[in-house]
Amino acid sequence: MKKFFLASALSFLSMMIAVAQPGLPPIDKSPMDESYCPGNFPQLKIKDKVTDPLLARVIYSRPQKNGRVIFGDLIEYGKVWRLGANEATEIEFYQDVKMGNVKIKKGRYTLYAIPDTGKWTIIISKETDTWGSYGYDIKKDVARIDFPVQNQTEIAEAFTILFDKSDKGYNLQFYWDNVKVTVPISSSL
Amino acid sequence: MEFIKHSSKSLLALQFFAVILLSCNSNKNNSGNTIITSDTIQNKEAVNPYVTNDRSPMDMSYYPHDFPVSKMNGTDTTIPVARVIYSRPQKKGRIIFGNTSKSLCEYGKEWRLGANEATELEFFIDVIINGKKIDKGRYIIYCIPYPEKWTIILSKNLFSWGLHMDKTKDIFKVDIPVESQAPIVEDFTMVFQPASYGTNLVMAWDNVKTALRIRTTP
Repeated sequence: MKKFFLASALSFLSMMIAVAQPGLPPIDKSPMDESYCPGNFPQLKIKDKVTDPLLARVIYSRPQKNGRVIFGDLIEYGKVWRLGANEATEIEFYQDVKMGNVKIKKGRYTLYAIPDTGKWTIIISKETDTWGSYGYDIKKDVARIDFPVQNQTEIAEAFTILFDKSDKGYNLQFYWDNVKVTVPISSSL
Repeated sequence: MEFIKHSSKSLLALQFFAVILLSCNSNKNNSGNTIITSDTIQNKEAVNPYVTNDRSPMDMSYYPHDFPVSKMNGTDTTIPVARVIYSRPQKKGRIIFGNTSKSLCEYGKEWRLGANEATELEFFIDVIINGKKIDKGRYIIYCIPYPEKWTIILSKNLFSWGLHMDKTKDIFKVDIPVESQAPIVEDFTMVFQPASYGTNLVMAWDNVKTALRIRTTP
């Protein structure tokens, strides 16, 4: 009963917050974010500190763990996942690149993944400006590449995508819960 | 707790009062009397060792509104007209627009229309703004706020952080009137609304609302 009381009070409260902006969209529960490659490119640009050309950008939404088991439960193994929340996750390459060993032409794509226990299949799709993975169409695939799952002791509460510098270029990294997946990316120029 | 023993009727009454109480708090918050400190936010997010969530989260608006949902449903199989990507700072009790250095967005000074990265506006078709053709493509949009008008500027200084405007990359300027609004808007909002000539890009924060008229048919 106490729980019910709290839950209903909270749901009323959240409704009150949601109507605080009449006719205008409230802030998302899974806020959007973006990551540039090289990292922090926009800050470097206004400080005139750019040394490497812009290679890629990811725009994604950041769901939170909120105490849930993520992989194998919230995100089912073997099913296409939108790598985030809300709008499908977008990756844009400003040069032709190599992802793993696969060449991908510069352009704007949607990024999906099929998570599994030991590996993720990363999908690059030509279907842009869409929502989630509900309308996923295999015919729009440009590439499907497998990458191993690395288990982490440190938990990532918010789903995170970022680019890190590597010996051969960059690593596109995905973190959520106790899982990390690394995707090597480099310019194919 | 005592009230658990009471009848469900008094429980409901209690619940009602609690909701009133809580919603008063939420109103208070929205009128800005309660200030969330950066500490509370950082503590909550200290669990992510990689990149914390932004205090001014990013968001995206399409025209037609919610285009990605329509595309997924198959109800819209065309291309979108426009998209804006911006960050959403919150009022949090502060003075937003004004003519003193205490104002977050000072009259007469460039403002990035958001937070963090410069705000990005993309047209997927050619459009007309204030009688001038704007080629399809991607732009940075920022403004110079004044009490009665905003100067809206489109720039080609893409992929930049919003604190330094490179005026040599400006390609278009237009003044648009300012309307006041009540109740105030806590989170800075950019959203496309339909209009007979195309769409209005509505920009709203605090007690101020503006709209950029975008013509999509010649």
